Amino acid sequence: MGFEWPWQYNFPPFYTLQPNVDTRQKQLSAWTSLVLSFCRHNKFYTMNVMEIQESPLFNNKKIQRKLPLESVQVVLEELRKKGNLEWLDKNKTRFLIMWRRPDEWGKVIYLWVSKNGMTNSVFTLYELINGDETEGEEFHGLDESMLLKSLETLQLEHKAEIFTLNDSKGVKFF
Amino acid sequence: MGNIFGRKRRSRVTEQDKAVLQLKQQRDKLKQYQKKITLQLQRERELAKQLLHNGKKEKAKLLLKKKRYQEQLLEKTDNQISNLEKMVEDIEFAQIEMKVIEGLKIGNDCLKKMHEVMSIEEVERIMDETQEGIEYQRQIDEILAGSLTAEDEEAILEELEAITQEDVELPEVPTEALPETTPEKEAVKNKPKPQLVAAS
Repeated sequence: MGFEWPWQYNFPPFYTLQPNVDTRQKQLSAWTSLVLSFCRHNKFYTMNVMEIQESPLFNNKKIQRKLPLESVQVVLEELRKKGNLEWLDKNKTRFLIMWRRPDEWGKVIYLWVSKNGMTNSVFTLYELINGDETEGEEFHGLDESMLLKSLETLQLEHKAEIFTLNDSKGVKFF
Repeated sequence: MGNIFGRKRRSRVTEQDKAVLQLKQQRDKLKQYQKKITLQLQRERELAKQLLHNGKKEKAKLLLKKKRYQEQLLEKTDNQISNLEKMVEDIEFAQIEMKVIEGLKIGNDCLKKMHEVMSIEEVERIMDETQEGIEYQRQIDEILAGSLTAEDEEAILEELEAITQEDVELPEVPTEALPETTPEKEAVKNKPKPQLVAAS
């Protein structure tokens, strides 16, 4: 996979939430940054809690340690507070993980658009994510809800306008 | 100048943009369809291989027939996609042309307005007046110059000649004697120059 785990990953106490407030804060920030870099490496966008708990991220088979579900919830909640995570349902089982914030994605997309002289052009969301033109771009294969969020940030900056036709959305860049 | 109001009042998405989007949506659908068929083709090829292995030649043949048909479909959709894309490009180009014409129109109006301000008679009148002004100035010059010419013009000419002569002699100066220059004032002025040239 080529993912570089931080040293804490093989450190057993890392898998038990620490009672001391300071230590706990450090531990949580280490966890959140690990979650973000793990998801970025694997290009994960939407996941559910069970899935992520079983993934190597929270489940270190080498040292036989696994972060318990309640602690996973705490880590995810921490991410939500930071604005990197959004729950997709009321029961908090599915979530959107944003290892790059929507406005950052917006910038990446807009850079590509202006670099290719595509301002003033209309795109379907499908072609931005799956089209041949965006092959090899970072946002190729991006989650659609994520794309929509980033386009909305561009819309606020008057760089794009989203419009709907026949139940599917399109965007025009300016 | 609220941002939200500005945007709500008029959307920057035109009817043409909507048409383009629709065409592109159609194209996306075709592309998805193509993806589906290509995957299916691969699977069927594998299946046919397996059938052949198991000695079911007839079934394999039937499968290949189906595959062939789907390949034709694929080709057709390719054509349709290129048609759609051509249409999109046509629309986009027409939009650009419209902008060009708009630009030309504005330029034309502007030129017209400016021409209204400067009618030909006006220009002629101004030019005439300018000519008169020049003539007048020349007369003044003449009057002023007339009072000076007699002595000064000669002196000027003399000085000019002296300078040009010196310039011609310049290269020889260092080898011969220096004091052979005509007016005293210029001799003093010019002496340092040749020396400098020679030194460098």
